[in-house]
Amino acid sequence: MTSQRNRKRRNFLKAAGVGLLGGLAGCTRGGDSGGGTGTGDSNSGDGGGDSGGDSEELAIPLSEYENADIDWRQFEGSTINIGAVEHAWVDAIEPAVPVFEELTGIEVVWNVLPEQEFRTKRLTDVSTGAGEWDVFFLDQVVNQFRESGWLQALDPYFEDDSMYDEEWYGMDDLFEATRWQAHGGGYSDTWTGMPITVEVQTQFYRSDLYDEYDLEVAETLEEFRANAQTIHEEEDDIVGTVGRGQQGYGMNIYILNTFIRQFGAELWDSYPGDSGLDSEGAIAAAEWYVNLLQDYGPEGASSQVWSDVLSTMQSGGAGHIVSDANLFWPGLTDPESSDVADQIAVAKAPSPADGEFSPNAFAWQIATSQNAENSEEAFLFMIWASSEPTNTWMHVENGAGFSVRQSVWENDEYRDRVGGNFADVTLESLQEAAPDPFDSQYPEWGQTYSEELQTAIAGSQSAEEAMTDAASAAEDIVSE
Amino acid sequence: MSTPTQTASQAPSGLARLRELWNDYLPYWFMTPMVLVMLLITIFPGAYDLYLSLVKYQLTDPNTVGQFNGLANYERVFTSGGAINSFVITITFVAGALALETGIGFVLAALVTGVKSDRMQTFYRIIFIIPMAVAPVSLATIGRIMLNTEIGIIPYMIQQFTPFVAPNFLSDVPLLTVILVDTWNWTPFMFIIFYAGMSSVPKTLLEASRVDGAPLWRRYVHVIIPYMKPVLFVAILIRLIDLFRTFGLVFSLTSGGPGTATELVSINIFQTGFTFVDLGGAAAIAIVYLVGIIALCNILIIKVGFEGVWD
Repeated sequence: MTSQRNRKRRNFLKAAGVGLLGGLAGCTRGGDSGGGTGTGDSNSGDGGGDSGGDSEELAIPLSEYENADIDWRQFEGSTINIGAVEHAWVDAIEPAVPVFEELTGIEVVWNVLPEQEFRTKRLTDVSTGAGEWDVFFLDQVVNQFRESGWLQALDPYFEDDSMYDEEWYGMDDLFEATRWQAHGGGYSDTWTGMPITVEVQTQFYRSDLYDEYDLEVAETLEEFRANAQTIHEEEDDIVGTVGRGQQGYGMNIYILNTFIRQFGAELWDSYPGDSGLDSEGAIAAAEWYVNLLQDYGPEGASSQVWSDVLSTMQSGGAGHIVSDANLFWPGLTDPESSDVADQIAVAKAPSPADGEFSPNAFAWQIATSQNAENSEEAFLFMIWASSEPTNTWMHVENGAGFSVRQSVWENDEYRDRVGGNFADVTLESLQEAAPDPFDSQYPEWGQTYSEELQTAIAGSQSAEEAMTDAASAAEDIVSE
Repeated sequence: MSTPTQTASQAPSGLARLRELWNDYLPYWFMTPMVLVMLLITIFPGAYDLYLSLVKYQLTDPNTVGQFNGLANYERVFTSGGAINSFVITITFVAGALALETGIGFVLAALVTGVKSDRMQTFYRIIFIIPMAVAPVSLATIGRIMLNTEIGIIPYMIQQFTPFVAPNFLSDVPLLTVILVDTWNWTPFMFIIFYAGMSSVPKTLLEASRVDGAPLWRRYVHVIIPYMKPVLFVAILIRLIDLFRTFGLVFSLTSGGPGTATELVSINIFQTGFTFVDLGGAAAIAIVYLVGIIALCNILIIKVGFEGVWD
């Protein structure tokens, strides 16, 4: 089948890529692996998993889908192009794609690109009306795309009885935060895409150090700071905590926004007049995060990207990750990639003693554009990909760790695989999660806001100055 | 046109006329394909860029895309977009990296040329050229890890083997750091060109100066460097142009930060175009940048090249 053929080709390309890298050769200019700008959203620390068995045998029985009141074969013989970022979701779902092809008679063609390259290609594909991709990954630019008239709302497809079976699909099983994000991050009444992955901020800590210094797992920011201080001061080669400091709208502000909410403030108190970035709560949150990194973080915390945070923790160089994607878990606990795999424990992100627990959650969604030729076929793929049978198989059988469905996190088999505590922490965090509001100007004001925060973490200005300048810039940008 | 053997009454046939045209303008015919290719890949995109810079082209505002905007894009990006700052940073980056790469490349070339054993010369050539073979993005990623204060080998070595405290490279001295990483990446380019240039200096000249009793430094100042002037000039010019185009290495290393401390013009253009989707603004910066680089390079070629090197 095509997806198998593509998979073989990709395996060959991967091997060739490794060979080339081994030979210290490669492209010369222009590309970017996303080190600086990667949002971390695409990082899973989860390598996908096994292929799912014999290529002749379907990974999931067709009977799982045939009881749905959906005319799966109405577009038999057609082909859909999927534009995807290099992500563990692709690895996890690819072995199951023959199931979709067999079920619908629709051929699936993958276009998987590195993050930065993907973003550029996506922009040109939808903004020029090329419509080459019928399905594509969508993230913080959802409202930028929607308000530009490039996205196609999915509502008419949901209303089509031959394409959607509400009872079978189980919409309520999708976390509210993910449904909210699939409605333009709360800015749209219509469906902008279907959520396929979700990650939520959690706290990681070194249980051996906690035992050694008799520390309690921190529930509040004050307790967290005290724990970080203890480890920072007691251990010579270990810093108290690590966290993202690098600029970029998926970097330092992705972490800080959680604390802003928990300090009782809100991004965009009133849109577009008041960004909320210079409110008392936002400044207090920024001061807390900046001081934490400056006092108990690594030297040069302002340039840390998610991969630095992960590798510092993996190498045993830090006592905590203050708050970052739960998707780090497999990478931190895998003995092959982590020197302290047996000592890593997970807990909910800390919150202020008098604040509300409100971690940030990010969901990738897959969407279709106004110019796509096969949007109906694309919708069938979205429904299939995010359905309960596919999601459960990806997570229980194929190593995934980012389910948008509550039932998967409650599945005993899955909980045994990932660990009950991790599943509980993730589930409870996702139930309380509050995603960022990605308005259409978010990429622009988010970038400026992150630059200001980065200079504060670097010590070039105070957190208050940074947030005040960020507020003023954001309001100017949005009101233009 | 007629050949000496033709008379006025014997006009050439059509085929002969074509052959004459072919022969008379032979160099131009050979140049034509290249000129067409250049038109396609340079002049057309350049002209389109100029067009974009004069119209409103904010992708998120599709109703106004394509409206003539005069010089508003230029005014806007140069008064509010941080473009001026990025020009200053770029010039500092280019000057610093060029000076280091030229200096170190020359010294390395001189040292390797002085090695007596051919086998060892080959060994050093291979060793020194390796960083140039690594893609800038890969090198930046490796550099990030090596410079990381907690897990990087460079801060560790500084702490262990020197009396100095290792700086926080990417946050305390970001511009110097990107200059040093670029120097690491591209000094081999200068080295290999200078090495070839030095190897081509006639041995008789060197022997003569040695017989005359000139010390080593005099041989460099009065014989080797003057002889290598064209090589030095061309290498510096090529590297200068390439440095102005730097993007991947710095973008991967710092993303332009902290704040905007390492935001080169190329990064500014990228952000304006692909993050803020303001193609008109990005085109305006690009046009100013392009004109500036072309002007600088032409001044160098005319004033330094023709009047100093090839005079």
